Amino acid sequence: MFNTKQTLLASAVAMAATGTAFAMSGSGDGSANGEKIDGKYAANYAEIIKENNGEYLDPKVIEAILGEDATYGRTGLMAKLDPANPYSFEVDDSIDGGNHGNAQCKVPAAFTEVHEEAAKNYTNDADFKAYGFGKPIAEEATKVWNITVDGDGNNLPDPSVGMTVEEGGELYVQFCGMCHGDFGEGAKGYLPLAVDGNLVTSDFDDSSPMKTVGNYWPYAVTLFDYIRRTMPFWTPNMPAIGDAGYMGMTGYIMQSNYIPVGFDDDGNPIELDYDTVYNSELLMKQNKYMKNQGNFFCDHRPVIHNERCMSDCPDYMVGDGKGNIQNFEQARLLPDGTPQYNVPERMHEDPPGVGHAGM
Amino acid sequence: MTDKIVEKVAVQTDESRDQGRRAFLKGSAAVAGGVLFTKAASAAEGGQYDPKKAVSTYAGKEEMTEVLQDGAARKSLGFGVRKYPYGMPSPYEKEVQRRTLEWLTPDAMASITMTPLQSLHGIITPNGLHFERFHGGVPTIDPAEHRLVIHGLVERPLIFTMDDLKRFPSVSRIHFAECPANGAMEWKGVQLDSVQWTHGMMSCVEWTGVRLSDLLKEAGIKPEAKWLIPEGADAAALTRSIPMDIAMDDCIIAYAQNGEALRREQGYPIRLVVPGCEANMWVKYLRRIQVHDVPAQHREETSKYTELMPDGTAQRFSWYMEANSVITYPSPDFKMQGPGKYFVRGLAWSGRGKVKHVDVSFDGGRNWKEAHFTSAVLDKAWTRFEVEWDWDGSEAFMMSRVTDETGYVQPPMPQMRELEGTNNVYHRTAMVTWRVHPWEDGKNGGMIENVQY
Ligand code: HEC
Repeated sequence: MFNTKQTLLASAVAMAATGTAFAMSGSGDGSANGEKIDGKYAANYAEIIKENNGEYLDPKVIEAILGEDATYGRTGLMAKLDPANPYSFEVDDSIDGGNHGNAQCKVPAAFTEVHEEAAKNYTNDADFKAYGFGKPIAEEATKVWNITVDGDGNNLPDPSVGMTVEEGGELYVQFCGMCHGDFGEGAKGYLPLAVDGNLVTSDFDDSSPMKTVGNYWPYAVTLFDYIRRTMPFWTPNMPAIGDAGYMGMTGYIMQSNYIPVGFDDDGNPIELDYDTVYNSELLMKQNKYMKNQGNFFCDHRPVIHNERCMSDCPDYMVGDGKGNIQNFEQARLLPDGTPQYNVPERMHEDPPGVGHAGM
Repeated sequence: MTDKIVEKVAVQTDESRDQGRRAFLKGSAAVAGGVLFTKAASAAEGGQYDPKKAVSTYAGKEEMTEVLQDGAARKSLGFGVRKYPYGMPSPYEKEVQRRTLEWLTPDAMASITMTPLQSLHGIITPNGLHFERFHGGVPTIDPAEHRLVIHGLVERPLIFTMDDLKRFPSVSRIHFAECPANGAMEWKGVQLDSVQWTHGMMSCVEWTGVRLSDLLKEAGIKPEAKWLIPEGADAAALTRSIPMDIAMDDCIIAYAQNGEALRREQGYPIRLVVPGCEANMWVKYLRRIQVHDVPAQHREETSKYTELMPDGTAQRFSWYMEANSVITYPSPDFKMQGPGKYFVRGLAWSGRGKVKHVDVSFDGGRNWKEAHFTSAVLDKAWTRFEVEWDWDGSEAFMMSRVTDETGYVQPPMPQMRELEGTNNVYHRTAMVTWRVHPWEDGKNGGMIENVQY
C-alpha cells in the first residue's frame, strides 16, 4: 500500500521536472515578515485577507500568506496536505485515512467569511432561544429511520447478526446478480462491484479506470450502509433480506474483491472462507485493510491561481496551452461530415466512448 | 458608438455596485436594490439625437413592399381564462425541454437531465426546466404526512411538520444548483455540440425556506457536534456529510422554488439548499438530520463524488463549486447570421460568492474584453453577462473567463487537465471554446462548434 503523501511528493517532483509548474515570479513581499504558523505561514492571514478586500484566492494574497512556491499546481496541493496551512482542508491525523480512524476534512481557516458567518449564526448567538414550533421526540422513536452506519462503524448490527459468506453469496445471486453480475463483474450496463483495475493512468488516452469496492472504496462500512439503504434497487432495505442477509452479502462482495481479514505471521493475506460467518466484527476488521484507503486526500481546489490577463497573454493561457489556437479537437462528426448539434440524432445513439465511467 | 454606451453602462454597473455598497455601509437610503441611477445614465453627452444619422445603417438595404396581411390570431378569438388553470408555454416552445443522454446511466431512476441553457434568458430557470438528478426515482410525498427530524448530538431531538416549518422566519435567496458532474463528459476531449450537454447539469432559482442554522439552534446543538448527516425520505435515502461551518454559514431548508412549492423533481416537499456547494449535498425529500461528531463516509462521498487523479490518488469531501462561466449566445445551437455586430452573452457563477469580472476572448485566449452585467450580481447565483462584438466574418475562437470576488480566475482547459488528468469525472470547471467557422459568403452555414484544446 502506498501512502498519499509519498505519492503526491513523487508526482510533484515529476511535474517539476517536466517544467509544468505554473509558478509566478512572485513578489513575496509581506510573506517574510511577522509571526508564522509552524515557521511557515503568516499567522496574521485573516488580516492580510481583510486588507485585500476578502480576496483570499488572489495569487498575491495566497503568496503573502503561504510564501512563494507553496502555492501553485501540484506543489500547492502538496503544501496544503499540512493541516496547519491556512488553506488546508485536512484535519490533523487523518491524512492517510482509515488506519487512523475516520478521516475528516475541514473548511480551511483562510475561508474567513465562512467562519465569520457561521460564528455569527451559531457560536456567537448568545441570545438565541428556541421558538418552540417543533415537537420533542425521543431518540428511541427514530430507530427505524436511523439506519446510518458511520465511518467508525457506529450503529452496525450486533455481532450476533450475520450469516456465512456462502449464504450471503446465494442471496446476492438471487437479488443482485442480474444487475451487477454474479461475481460483481457488472451486467446490462449497471455498475460492476468487483473489478480490480489499475487506477493510475500514465497516458491521457488511457481508458477510464473502473472504480469498484476493492480497488477504490476507502471504507468497508460504506458497503453495508449503502446496500441496506438502497439495494436491491427496486426494493431497498428489504425485510426478506434483513440485517443478517445484508451482512452476509457484504461478506460475499468483500470476498469477491479479495479484501483480507488479516495477515498471517509471514505477512500473507488471510482470505475470507465461504463458511465463515460474516458479522460486524469481521467487517470492522476488514475496514482496516481496504486497499485504496491511504490514497485519498481532501479536496484542495483551487490549485490553479492565474492572474487576470487582458492582452497579449502568455502562451500557457492561450489555445492548446502552448499558444497555438489551431491545435484543437472537434466532437465526432455526423455521417455527412457536419458537426453534431443538439439534434435528435444524438439522443438514442451509442456513447461516443471517451472519458466516462459512471457518475 | 454603441460600443461607448455599452462601456459606459459597464462602468456604471461597477460603480453603482461600489456606491451601493458604500451607501449601504453608511446606512443611506439612496440606493434601491443595490442599483443607483445617476444623471449620467440619462443625459447623453455630445449633442442631440439625429434620426437621419440613426437609420443610416439601413441605407442601401432592399425595402420590402408586399402589403402585410392579418394572420390567424387576428381573425378569431383566442382561448378564455381557466383553459389552463396552470399555465403552459406556447406549443411553439416545445423544443425547449430538459434532455438526457441515454448512454450516461443504465437506468432512468438513477439518472440526470440537463437544462436547455441555450434557450434561457436572465438568471432564473423556470421550474419545469430545472435539471433533474435522481438516485432512486421521484417520489410523490404527501406534505401532510411528511416530517423532518433533527436528532443525534442535540439537547432536544425535535420533529417538525410542514406547518411547523412555515411558522419559522423565512428567507428567499437566488442560488444556482450545480451537479459536480456538470461537464463530466468533456474531461477527455470534446464530445457534444450544445451548451445543454456541456453545462446543463445546473439551474438557478429563487429558493424560499427556513435557515438551517435557525432549526439547528432550535434543537440545541451540543459542542461536540461537528457534522450533519442529512437524509432523504425517498428510495435512495441519500446522505452526505456536511461540516458544521458550512451548515451554519448560509444553508436553507427550502419548501419553495420561484414562488411556488418545490417541484417533486427538486425534492417536494422540502430539500436542503447548500449555496455554492455540490448539488449532491442538497439532499431532497429531506426527512432527517442527524447531528454527529464524525462524517458518515457514505457512498456519495467515497465511491462517487470523489475525484481520481492521474497518479491514482483521489480527492474526497469536495464541497465548493469553483467559479465558472459559459457563452450561451451565440453557442453551438445557434448559427451566425453573417458578419456584423453581435451581443455575445452568457452565464457566470461562483460557489464562493459573487462574480466580479467576466472577460471574453475571440482569439482563443490571447486577448480579452471585459463584459458588463445585464442582471443583478448576487452571491452564489448565476450572473448574466454581455459583450459587444464586431464579427468580421473570419474564424474565431470564443471563450469566457470569470473572476470571482475571492480573486480566483477561471483557468483554461489544458492547464486543468495537466493537473487533474482526464478521469476525474467531477468539477470540470475550466473554460470551453466555441469555434465560429469563417463566414465565406455563408459557405459554412454560420456554424458554431464546441472544440477543445
Ligand atoms: C435493478 C438493478 C439493480 C439490482 C437488482 C441491484 N442493484 Fe445495485 N445498483 C443499481 C443501480 C442503478 C446503482 C446505481 C445507483 C445510483 O447511482 O444512484 C447500483 C449501485 C450499487 C452499488 C454501488 C456501486 C458503486 O460503485 O458505487 C452497490 C454496492 C450495489 N448496487 C449493490 C447491490 C446489491 C448488494 C444488490 C442486491 C441486494 C443490488 N445492488 C441490486 C442497480 C441494481
